[in-house]
Amino acid sequence: MRALGKAVAVLLTSCTFVSVAHATVHDHLFANAFDIPADAPASAGAAARFLTQATFGPTQADITRVMAVGYGEWIDEQLAKTATLSEPNVEAVINARIAGGQGTSQTTRIDRWLWQATYAPDQLRQRMAFALSQIFVVSDQNGAIGGDIVPMAAYQDLLARDAFGSYLSLLSDVTFSPTMGKFLSSFHNQKANCTAPNVCSTNADENYAREIMQLFSVGLIRLDMDNTPMGGVITPTYDQTVITHTAKVFTGFTYSDAPTNPANFFGGGLTFAGQYNPMACWGSELFALSSNNMRHDITGDDGTAASNKTVLDGGLIAPNQSCAKDVSDELHIINQHPNVAPFISRQLIQRFVTSNPSKGVNPSPGYTARVATVFESSGGDLGDVIKAILLDTEARNPPALVNGDTYGKLREPLLRLTAMWRAFNAVAPAADVYGEIAMTGGTNFQSSYGQAPLEAPTVFNFYSPDYLQEGALATANMVAPEFQITNESSVYSVGNNYYRFTQGAYQGMANPPTDRPLINLSALTVNAANSVALVATINANMLYGSMSPTMQSRMTSLVDGLAGASTAEIAWSAIYVTMLSPEYATQR
Amino acid sequence: MSYNRNSRREFLRKLACVACSGGSAAMIPQLRMIGSALANTKALTGYKALVCIYLSGGNDGWNLVVPFDTPRYNVYAAARSGVYTVGGANPNPGGLGLAQPTGGQIAIQGITDGNDASPSTNQYFMHPNAPELAKLFQPNATLSISKKLALVVNVGTLVKPINKTMYNQSAANRPPQLFSHSDQEDLWHQANTNGSAVQGWGGLCGDVLQPQSTGNAQLSSCISIAGANRFEVGMNTVPYQMSSGGLTALSGVCNPTPCAGVSTTSIRNGALNNLLGDTYANDFADEYGAVFQRGRDLYNLLSAGLTATTLTTTFLPANNSLASQLQMVAKMIKLSKAQGLAQRQIYYVRYGGFDLHAGMMSGNGNHGQLLTAVSQAMNSFYKCLGADFGAAPGAQNEVTTFTASEFARTLQSNGSGSDHGWGGVQMVMGGAVNGGKLYSNGDLLTGFPNQDLTAPNNFSRGQMIPGIGVEQYAATLAQWMGVTSMTDLNAIFPNLPNFPTKNLGFV
Repeated sequence: MRALGKAVAVLLTSCTFVSVAHATVHDHLFANAFDIPADAPASAGAAARFLTQATFGPTQADITRVMAVGYGEWIDEQLAKTATLSEPNVEAVINARIAGGQGTSQTTRIDRWLWQATYAPDQLRQRMAFALSQIFVVSDQNGAIGGDIVPMAAYQDLLARDAFGSYLSLLSDVTFSPTMGKFLSSFHNQKANCTAPNVCSTNADENYAREIMQLFSVGLIRLDMDNTPMGGVITPTYDQTVITHTAKVFTGFTYSDAPTNPANFFGGGLTFAGQYNPMACWGSELFALSSNNMRHDITGDDGTAASNKTVLDGGLIAPNQSCAKDVSDELHIINQHPNVAPFISRQLIQRFVTSNPSKGVNPSPGYTARVATVFESSGGDLGDVIKAILLDTEARNPPALVNGDTYGKLREPLLRLTAMWRAFNAVAPAADVYGEIAMTGGTNFQSSYGQAPLEAPTVFNFYSPDYLQEGALATANMVAPEFQITNESSVYSVGNNYYRFTQGAYQGMANPPTDRPLINLSALTVNAANSVALVATINANMLYGSMSPTMQSRMTSLVDGLAGASTAEIAWSAIYVTMLSPEYATQR
Repeated sequence: MSYNRNSRREFLRKLACVACSGGSAAMIPQLRMIGSALANTKALTGYKALVCIYLSGGNDGWNLVVPFDTPRYNVYAAARSGVYTVGGANPNPGGLGLAQPTGGQIAIQGITDGNDASPSTNQYFMHPNAPELAKLFQPNATLSISKKLALVVNVGTLVKPINKTMYNQSAANRPPQLFSHSDQEDLWHQANTNGSAVQGWGGLCGDVLQPQSTGNAQLSSCISIAGANRFEVGMNTVPYQMSSGGLTALSGVCNPTPCAGVSTTSIRNGALNNLLGDTYANDFADEYGAVFQRGRDLYNLLSAGLTATTLTTTFLPANNSLASQLQMVAKMIKLSKAQGLAQRQIYYVRYGGFDLHAGMMSGNGNHGQLLTAVSQAMNSFYKCLGADFGAAPGAQNEVTTFTASEFARTLQSNGSGSDHGWGGVQMVMGGAVNGGKLYSNGDLLTGFPNQDLTAPNNFSRGQMIPGIGVEQYAATLAQWMGVTSMTDLNAIFPNLPNFPTKNLGFV
């Protein structure tokens, strides 16, 4: 079933498929301003809670929209929005800086990313791109791409464009991205150098072959649809032999503009487009099999052209094929593996909704399996997958809060910042003379937060989807990925940074900084003398109405205690202390 | 509604221990036995620290130490796809072999294995970028640095001693998920082959050692300068995670807390402390509050003392992450000793970039550059322990530093670097170390491994089957720290009974 569905999906390019399909399938023909949609949120708080999951933070406008059209229609509207792009802006800024004799850095890309997270209308697409960037990881922390500012912006755009397309299209685009190629060294990876069967002085680089399977698709053990070990038994998905043979598939890649006549495999990359356009593969499509310029490995398992490549699950790839055919065969074999749906679905659920789907007190069984089923039946349509994740009963109907509750997740520190900006209508500074809009306030987010876009320490992301935090959570066998970057030191460095974006960045302050957005405190200052009303606004804007009675009383005492301070200080103090609080640090 | 967090957490912890419900406790019932010999054990004396330097990504240890004698060197060079050469008549930019040192370089790089009396097989050389490490290994007229480094050769994750025949016989004979970064790193941290453990051997040692020590109960026996790590997590031990930059104040509130008088700062401080002291029904929120609370408590405990603790030793390389981390370890050791905060401490630092599939021999971040940093930083740390801790030998005999890394790498080149391997080479440094020796005698595969790619001790690309298990390596260090009862050792290292040799003798 799934193979057929995917075959159809693959025939259509992802962009066309998404816009046409969703426009026809998901239209609410009878929706108008007077209907209350069947899936309308029960309250503004419920809408804000949904938007906390689905966006970079609820705004009043989005809350109003979700309440008007319901969850499903809001998602459909988001699925139809085209991607807000980074690369054109980043390239223009970098060119202008170079022309102006200025240095360049990844800060330009991070500034653009933060701006998009805070202001782009395609919020769900941008959130999905961020989630995908934590699965299909590339990072400027790796020296191979540390200087590739514009190509990394293009990689962000690749993820945003493919965010609601088919998984196979995404996997293919990622595989051919020179940024991924350089990060996991398939770029310039070359065929084995063999003189006789199994007698080779070098063999192909195994890096991409290993990580595409371990991290981007199937993982290490066979899974059931709920992402637990198949049949309750640990069975490895592949072994080292599969890796060695698969490595041959991912050979021959270089820049799209590397000259072929006269041939220079190590040339090219002369323009930004040359650096980010899909890699060329120097296989039989470009050169005769006998040519020294043929860098793709056409041989099979024993290093001869008479044997097949034996890859995942015993899949066979014939010898003497073009590089494009080899790669396409390999990606189709991976795509059809039954692990893909649960493996990817579970990680996306973790990024948007909850760390431990279908576990804990009063769980709703089968969340991951339900989403994985949609993944399969839709042919890996990621737009359908994210819709299934957000509309699932476990996402929309959280279990009642009782002691020992493990529903929900620790929020990513970057998302806690963008949510605060959006909650208080932060206004970004004007673009500088190079066209760059400063957002970072000079922050190195990777060192302060342990997290920054496309800046993970390694391909294993900022945290593992299986990370166990010692204590009550691990005792209950509940994973807690975001705790891997949360510790006694990081709560201080993150907190101090939030201070710079609250106490140090609000409209109306004396000498406001020009390197970061300024938040608008008016929704709070108007109630500076009315602590209950002020705390109610904090609760609605930052905690989707979920603030516990205990915290409400703590916050009310804070505001009352600050009576006599400036209204601005009362307001930013309430925001800042909330940003440090355990309830804002989590979502459920 | 709110009651004391610590009492609730303590209750939960005790509940977990009594019931041994879930997590590793259920899977490793021996953990319940930890410390059961406590009643018969005297209180620990003196001070000792263990410092783990984790080399992340898989350090290519077979280029850290290389056989020098011509027959074995030639085998090495062939296995590494030739000597790396650029320019000249016969360039070999894809080769991973190091050149055999000649002339004056022999004295700088050359080392003699003190465990091998035969001149035909006891000569090795170390990587040209690690002269400080070679010097720490060599005999020297200056006693304080003579033979203070040992090399543990062909150590890796094992269930029990095996050879290739046993490897092929049954999956149960070998560790799970070989060649996977994340899994093999976990097994190194755990020093067992349980695929889903939460605890690591450092933390479990802390569980045994802390109750026998005097010190400040607020400060964990395990301290990380490199963030979360499984190595330092015990049943009752939670690592204290700090930054190599030390402690910074928290903006807008009181540091330390509480502060005198009433101000807007003290009001915010009170609100924050109340929120952190409250308990939360949701475990994610409650745990976040607990971490934050610990951060505030430890700031109060350590900040002033740490600010007043100074070191005169210059740590090299300048502006290097590993050097900065080890500098903070030295400061914390100095402070802990001066204030009697602990008698046994386990530190964790981490240095990345070793996953050199490409650009291993040249380019930004190549292996030589990484080893320069490791060599200089370790040397700086050892010098500091002598120079900044009073009369000689300072703290050099009280601190043992060791390296760990998830695996070594293929001997064979992929044209630009090496791929994931298995057994590798680790270093142990300290005044208590029986240095100047290679420790390569496993229980089944013994001696410096044959590096011929067709030899039965490795796979076709030179992934070495380890002769020594991580359990043996770790248990040796644990015994030096004072974990001496076999009951405790077998609980912490559940595979240790499979290995005849429980102590490798390097420290």
